[in-house]
Amino acid sequence: MANPEEEEGEEEKYESFLSRVRRTVYVDELTPHASKSVVESAFSQFGTVKEVIFLPNYLGPKELPTGVLIEMESEQKAKAVIETVSQFPFMVAGMPRPVRASAARPAMFSDRPKKPGRRIQFRWVDPSDDEFDKAQRVKRLVRKHTAEAAFMIKKQLEEAEELAKQQSETVTTHHKKFELIDKLTHDGVAQELAGRYNMKCGPPYR
Amino acid sequence: MEAAAAVDEGLEFKWGKQKGIGGKKKDVRFYESFTFDGDEYRLYDCVLVADPSEPDSDELFVGKIIKIWEHTNKRAKHPRQVKLLWLFKPSEMPPGVVEGVPDLLANELFLASGEGPGLASVNPLDERNLQPTDEEIKSTDFVFRRAFDVGSCKVLDTIDDKISGVDVKFIFNRAGSTSKKEATPPILKIQLDVNGSADSLTPNGLSACGSVRSTEDNSNESSDCRESSSGRREGKEKFADESSNKDSSVQQSTSEHASSEASGSRGDHYDGKAQDNEVRKQFTKQKSMPAEERDSNSCEASGSKKLFTKQNSMPAGERDSNGLDERPQKKQKLDGSAIVSNGRNTNILQQSVSSDGKRDTCLFKRPREKVTGGESPPENLKKKRDLGVSVSEGKDAKTGTGKGLFKKPSFDGKLSKRSEEKIVEIDYRRDYQVTEVTPKPDASQVNSKWFRPLGGLPWEESMREAEKEEKLVLLQNLDPTYTSEEVQDIVYSALNEQCTARMIERTSVSFSHIGEALVIFNSRQAAVRAIRRLDEGCLLLSNGRPLVAAFAKINPPGKPSSSFCGHIKLQKTRRETRDTVSTSRGSQPNTLEFEMGMEWRLLRARSDHALETVSKRQLEERKTQRINFKPKLP
Repeated sequence: MANPEEEEGEEEKYESFLSRVRRTVYVDELTPHASKSVVESAFSQFGTVKEVIFLPNYLGPKELPTGVLIEMESEQKAKAVIETVSQFPFMVAGMPRPVRASAARPAMFSDRPKKPGRRIQFRWVDPSDDEFDKAQRVKRLVRKHTAEAAFMIKKQLEEAEELAKQQSETVTTHHKKFELIDKLTHDGVAQELAGRYNMKCGPPYR
Repeated sequence: MEAAAAVDEGLEFKWGKQKGIGGKKKDVRFYESFTFDGDEYRLYDCVLVADPSEPDSDELFVGKIIKIWEHTNKRAKHPRQVKLLWLFKPSEMPPGVVEGVPDLLANELFLASGEGPGLASVNPLDERNLQPTDEEIKSTDFVFRRAFDVGSCKVLDTIDDKISGVDVKFIFNRAGSTSKKEATPPILKIQLDVNGSADSLTPNGLSACGSVRSTEDNSNESSDCRESSSGRREGKEKFADESSNKDSSVQQSTSEHASSEASGSRGDHYDGKAQDNEVRKQFTKQKSMPAEERDSNSCEASGSKKLFTKQNSMPAGERDSNGLDERPQKKQKLDGSAIVSNGRNTNILQQSVSSDGKRDTCLFKRPREKVTGGESPPENLKKKRDLGVSVSEGKDAKTGTGKGLFKKPSFDGKLSKRSEEKIVEIDYRRDYQVTEVTPKPDASQVNSKWFRPLGGLPWEESMREAEKEEKLVLLQNLDPTYTSEEVQDIVYSALNEQCTARMIERTSVSFSHIGEALVIFNSRQAAVRAIRRLDEGCLLLSNGRPLVAAFAKINPPGKPSSSFCGHIKLQKTRRETRDTVSTSRGSQPNTLEFEMGMEWRLLRARSDHALETVSKRQLEERKTQRINFKPKLP
């Protein structure tokens, strides 16, 4: 059988896949509106970007932020990206929500090759088996867990929305205030008032 | 190390081997045995104990010594103590419980297990209390085969692994060696070892196993009890009767019990011959016939499929197959393996020597039906399913023996089952390659699906289309490290359906211990079938995870219309909007947006933490529900 050869080929494939994984950065909390070119240009600050893979969101809620796999040219570059993004809030295509970067994992690649040498076995458990009840319970448990996960995600999204709303309010009020002050100084109203009250009004700094 | 012998009231007392030192002040010594009045008492021995408060009563209690120790601190009231695990006589148990217990033997004892008072007690070691137990007396006096749960006051037929902190195997093995009366479950276990080493591939092996068993009447009965108690009680009497009639059937039932964990529904189908090497080979060859597999309905056990297809190609001769010369030979063997004469069983699975012909016709009937069909596969499958269902129904006490029969050979083959599956696994890859080479009308369509690169647009298209036609299934509880191809293989071999699959990537927002995949089946019926089968039965993967399947609902394509949460667009004048450029940058600490960015990170850290806690809890819950994938064999 061609098995040993196949196995070798598999090993090689898997190894190259692993090295690819090490070079890739997983970027999270990205806006779904960002296009590939935007992301590419954003991360080209760190070095050449070899590839950008968007992770599709089939099952999650629509508002979930997208994830992206960015393959850099070397492992060090990838590490550099992760470090910088972790230290400073790095914003892509909009502010102020920053993206998050971490090392990619094999499970993130949907087209990954099989881990060599792994054999999966299975058996059907029939109802008279002792294990049947346990298996049914585990199935129910799994369903429960997925429901819990969905709930957690929903909560997360709700919290994010709240924060976003709050921030946007503060920003707009700040902005209004700044605008107001700006206008005043611009129009000279501030100077007048200063004169009236015997105060100094320094030149507006731009 | 032996402590100094202490002479106690004229009776000799000597410690045996010291086991350890413990206790709060390290002043307690544990021993493995002691000699008293000329008799040696070892750990896990059974002793008869008299109640010291009623010195004249004749009633004796049976206990098993599980701990022996001595306080070296002489001030203790009873320096030497023994902890006994009680074995209950029926008279000692609450009356309501005893009534419900089936098949109570007159001299049966129950091992106390579970939690609650009455499990074990500590007895001081003095002469009034202890009486040696003669082996001979015991062997006629008591039979011990079941456990009595003191907590719930129920009779258990299975014995928990740890009773009062002592590993059950100690209780059994040692007991088994010292007193013959403790027949059943332990001996059953030991028999398992014996059987496992027996040559399982020939009918001779079968009979050999049988002969070993038939000497143990107790074991037979107990296995009956066990088997039925897991299911139905009323059929039990019948079953017991039957089994007492037939020796050989009883053999099967014991092994049936033993292997009940193993082959699962294998035993349901007529795959008793599954352990044949040749059959296995046949199987791998058969596997290379995709059309046949498609049509040869989803046998739950790959073994049964083997047999099925084998029978298929047999005298009907309408199917092409490889290695025909091996077939007749095999058939011989298979028939020969049906030693049991079980006239009463009308189940087609029953292979009795007398009803061989019947069975043959049954089996032939099916291939003939199938072959003479222009039966569409689904229909066929349905029939098969009904067959499967009727088999499982027939699994009642009545046909328990029949099942036992299958379980038995498959039990022997159990050991080889694993290697069998390995072969199956290896064939996954080969399979696909072979299918490429031999284009069949329906296979070509599937081929085209396979060749599509996963993860690219074509997948998405086919996925959405599949969702519309309700062919899309979500498989959960996979190992997250599986790949899409492996999922396809699994579906193929387990459910015998061809499909394309895609593992869903694990991101930070999804739990990492549950793997999911989206599977596109070839037809809606296939999807419905698969889901139903996975729901009603349990497909266990090798890491002990049963698969969960459901129809998948995916998000409609396209980007969300609203703007991304967290990105703020200010009301700006036109001039400003023109000037500002939305760049991607890391913001510096002196800006306002830095602060806001940090707020977001704080939020994320919090939700990550929450996710982690939930995830941990889920892992714990799953750990407590571990299922044994491998049947309990050494």
